[in-house]
Parts: sequence; C-alpha cells; structure tokens
Amino acid sequence: MGWIGDSIDSIKSIQIRQLLTQIITLGIIVSSALIIWKTLLCVTGSESPVVVVLSGSMEPGFKRGDILFLHMNEAPIRAGEIVVFNVDGRQIPIVHRVIKVHERRDTGEVDVLTKGDNNRQHDRMLYAKGQQWLNRHHIVGRAVGFLPYVGWVTIIMTENPIIKYVLIGALGLLIITSKD
Amino acid sequence: MDWQGQKLCEQLMMIMLIGFSIVGFIAGYSTGSYQMMLFVYATGVVISSLISVPNWGFYNRHPLKWLDPIEFEKNPKPEILVSKKKITKSNRK
Amino acid sequence: MHSFGYRANALLTFSITILAIMCTMGSLSDNFNSPTPTSQVQVLNINWFQRQPNGNDEVSLTLNVSANLQSMFTWNTKQDFVFLAAEYETPLNNLNQVSLWDGIIPSKEHAKFWIHTTNKYRFTDQGHNLRGKDFNLTLHWHVMPKTGKMFEDKIVMTGYRLPQEYR
Repeated sequence: MGWIGDSIDSIKSIQIRQLLTQIITLGIIVSSALIIWKTLLCVTGSESPVVVVLSGSMEPGFKRGDILFLHMNEAPIRAGEIVVFNVDGRQIPIVHRVIKVHERRDTGEVDVLTKGDNNRQHDRMLYAKGQQWLNRHHIVGRAVGFLPYVGWVTIIMTENPIIKYVLIGALGLLIITSKD
Repeated sequence: MDWQGQKLCEQLMMIMLIGFSIVGFIAGYSTGSYQMMLFVYATGVVISSLISVPNWGFYNRHPLKWLDPIEFEKNPKPEILVSKKKITKSNRK
Repeated sequence: MHSFGYRANALLTFSITILAIMCTMGSLSDNFNSPTPTSQVQVLNINWFQRQPNGNDEVSLTLNVSANLQSMFTWNTKQDFVFLAAEYETPLNNLNQVSLWDGIIPSKEHAKFWIHTTNKYRFTDQGHNLRGKDFNLTLHWHVMPKTGKMFEDKIVMTGYRLPQEYR
C-alpha cells in the first residue's frame, strides 16, 4: 500500500469525464505559465526577461547558476551597467559590464565596449570578426535584479536531458493522478 | 489523521513557518547578517516539517465514530448519494 | 487526502513562498539606507599623450583615488563595484564615457581606500579631440545585493583638463 500502488489504482479508476478535467487542468497550468511569461516580456520590454548566468566571467558578482532579471527601456546605456548582448554568429547571449560609451550627438546611436569583471581583457575578442563596438540593437537588456542559485535547476536540466524528461514525466503523472 | 488533527496540523505549520520567518528576519536585520536570517529560517523549516509532516499520535485524538451496522439496519435507509468507490476509499483509511 | 506526501508538498510550497517574501523584504529594506559616500581624485601626472596611427587620441594618466564608501554597505550587500570614468563631450558625440579604473570591494572593512594607479583601461577617444579638453571624472558605484534589486549612483568631480599639446 504505497504511494505507487495508490497511483496505479487511481490511473485504473480514471473515467472519461475525469480524464477530460485533468487534461483541462493541465492546459490551464501550461497556458497560465505562458501568460505570465508573455506579460513579463511586455512589462520588461526585453526579449528574455530572465536569464541564467552560464559562465564565471562576472565573478565574484554573478556566479554560474545565478538568475538575472532584465529590463529594457528607452533610457540610454551608460558605463557601468551590466548588459546582456547578442553577438552575430553566437547562439548564447553574454552578460558583461559596459566600460566605454560613445553616444552620437545627431542620431543618438551608441558605441559600447564591454568587459567581464573577472576577465583581464575587454570583449573585442568576443565580438564578431572586425567588430569594434556594440550598438543598441545588439543589447537585449540590462540587469536590474539578482537571485542566487535558482538557475542551477535549468543548468542541470539542459545538461542532463534525462533528468528533465524524468521530472516532466513525474510531474505529469502527479497531475493526472491527483484528485482535486 | 483525523479531521481535528488535520486542522491543527495545517495551523501549526503556518504559524510556525511565519513565526520563524519573522524571528529570522528580525535576527538577521539586527545583526546585519543575511546568513543569520537564512539559518534561523532553515532551522524553522526543519522543525516544522518534523512536527507537521509525520502522522504523530496527537493528531489522532478525535477519531470518527462510525454507526454500528445494527443501528444502520434499524433506522430507515437514507438515500445513497455517494458513489461506491468513495465508500470503499473511506473504509480503507 | 491528507497523506504524508500532501503535507510535505504543502510545507515545501509554503516555506518557499515565505522565503521569497523574506528575500523581497530584505531587498526592500535596502531602500532605508541612504549612503553618503565621499571621494577625491587627483590627476598626478600625464605620462604620455599622443595620436595613434589610426587617428585616435590616447592619453595615459597617473591617478590618485581616495574614497570612503562604507555607508553604502547594508546587510544585503554582497559586493560593491566601483569605477572611475572620464566623461566629456566632443563635436561628434554628446557623451563619451571611458572607464579608467575599476575595483570590487568585497566588504565594509575594505570600503575606505586610497589607491595610486595609472589608468587600467586605455583612455582613447573616438577621433582626435582630446587636446585641451575639459573632462569630468566620475566615481560610479554599483551595489550588488545578495538578493534583489541592484543599486547604482555616482559622484561627479569636475574641472580636469588635458594639455594643449601632445607629449
């Protein structure tokens, strides 16, 4: 008479109507998660409002597995801000600090140079070949908030997909077998 | 765990967790250390999980009194509203 | 219904919710802190000042930075990132910020410091406008919390001027 036995019993006793309710519940959960994510997108104005730090280049400020909350608005980019940017030809966005800003008088376009706090060199090596500066359109957002360790969940899941499937399966089973 | 026990258990859990969080926050803020707050709160979580998760004896002081089968026979039968499955479930507990 | 797993789950959910609330409160409590840092920067020497082959001016300075940032440390402060930037206007750009020196202050004990340094990053202009240029030195700081919102502010120090001639 364990938890597993109970679950099997409850799977056996599922009727059509109950099954439908469970599916709808599942749908509600998924869609509300989606709604929250999209609302965050709107509020923060950033393509990815929450990012996980993947490298140690900003230590000791941000370690691997920390979570950053991003915000993107019309406010100009200034030196010292921690920005997340995409480089052409690179899949993963980078979180680094701005050390140089040149803002054009006529167009307001900015030239930005970044550097990781823990790196010795600035980031020109990381940029696309021949690229000297980052511009506005490279920048996804600036970091405004910080939460330690929580991102480890996603790091572990992306690095060991098996754990992810096991977890999703277990959660799904739990939702299906739970009664109200 | 009986009905009274369930209520007691849930209330205990909430009161203890909130209490420990307030104590932890004040302790941490006054000593100026975040570790202190987290430590007090973690202790609180462990203690309250020890108290409210296992099925302790004091949650079972008010067992439900079921009707005797004979008495059930004597009285006029009430309409059965609950499905069969539910009855077997509650008997099993 | 009221099984072992159910109670464990309820406890976990509730305790994490409270933890989140506590962290939020901790972050909010930073707002009660109004720091009053002080700072002084002297340009001791201009080591060299020249025009590079690509046409950009570059200058090397020796700086003396002293600051007292102890008042910005709260219980929720993990570290404090300080940097000194030169800020000036040119005909092309209405703002140029060039970081000259930066440092990470790990704790309150280290927040009162005095440092004698040449510029850690190259002070180069976009173009050749640095001769006789007035510029500000600004000490910026970014407070990184243990959890929550990051704070930033700055002290602007005015009245610095580069020489008229290359040397």
